[in-house]
Amino acid sequence: MLSMFKSIPAHMDYRGQKLAEQIFQGVVLVSAVIGFIYGLIIEQFGWTVYIMIAGFAISCLLTLPPWPMYRRHPLTWQPALPETPAENREKPQENLKKKKHK
Amino acid sequence: MNTVLSRANSLFAFSLSVMAALTFGCFLTTALKDRRVPVDVRVSRVVLKNVDDFTGPRERSDLGFVTFDLSADILLRTLWTLMCPLQITTIDTCGVSLCSRCLHHDCLLHLEPIFDWNVKQLFLYLSAEYATRSNVLNQVVLWDKILLRGENTRLELKDMKSKYFFFDDGNGLRANKNVTLTLAWNVVPNAGILPLVVGSGHSSLPFPDAYETSRNY
Repeated sequence: MLSMFKSIPAHMDYRGQKLAEQIFQGVVLVSAVIGFIYGLIIEQFGWTVYIMIAGFAISCLLTLPPWPMYRRHPLTWQPALPETPAENREKPQENLKKKKHK
Repeated sequence: MNTVLSRANSLFAFSLSVMAALTFGCFLTTALKDRRVPVDVRVSRVVLKNVDDFTGPRERSDLGFVTFDLSADILLRTLWTLMCPLQITTIDTCGVSLCSRCLHHDCLLHLEPIFDWNVKQLFLYLSAEYATRSNVLNQVVLWDKILLRGENTRLELKDMKSKYFFFDDGNGLRANKNVTLTLAWNVVPNAGILPLVVGSGHSSLPFPDAYETSRNY
């Protein structure tokens, strides 16, 4: 069951992570300010907590799933070098030599 | 921040820190508030007995029975009254009409609710304070009440019996000249310190000289 969840790709690139962090910090802070002022006006602290929880839920929806807007700047890797058959044969022999020395 | 779990972790921790800051802000908005309210306490009947006391070191101690009236409007209270010629110290049932009673145009009443957003409940208690030969100061709690948020805060209690026994440490209640009854309350907040407020009205009364020997209360 857990392996099924782990196999769903949820990565974001670096710029996307920064954007996600800015989004959730902004949403939570705005909902905190709104909740504080509303609770102060109607003299009930419970409403402040409710508005905070709503802000938390909104930022969960916005930042937890890997939306496409967080994947717009993928890292540009260098192109892979093609491997020739001669190099393939040399590599396992080198590994064997190193193990014997140890 | 690459996995859902790490994003969820940082989001939750940030929200919790912001919530803690909001709670501290809630405490700050009501930290320096003056919560005194004028209170009217009247005693209608005092009966004194000398009974076996099994909780103390001596055989017989004084036991007092006090029946009292209590009148307090805790929801509304005055912040200031300006230039009022009459020395009005208690609030009428309708606080705003005090202005028309004193007939002075500069008289101003500023009312503010005591159940603000940082108050969860009030714990009221009536205590009797007196001095005896053996002890300089005695304070006995006679009656208490918990006022939850949303309950009626205008108290008009008549002929209330005390909830707890008014035992004296010894026999110092007989012919005691001055026993003072005061109403105090604890404000239980949502966040912050618990202030103990004493109401501004009290009533002093002397206790009778003789014990009552009848069986009923």
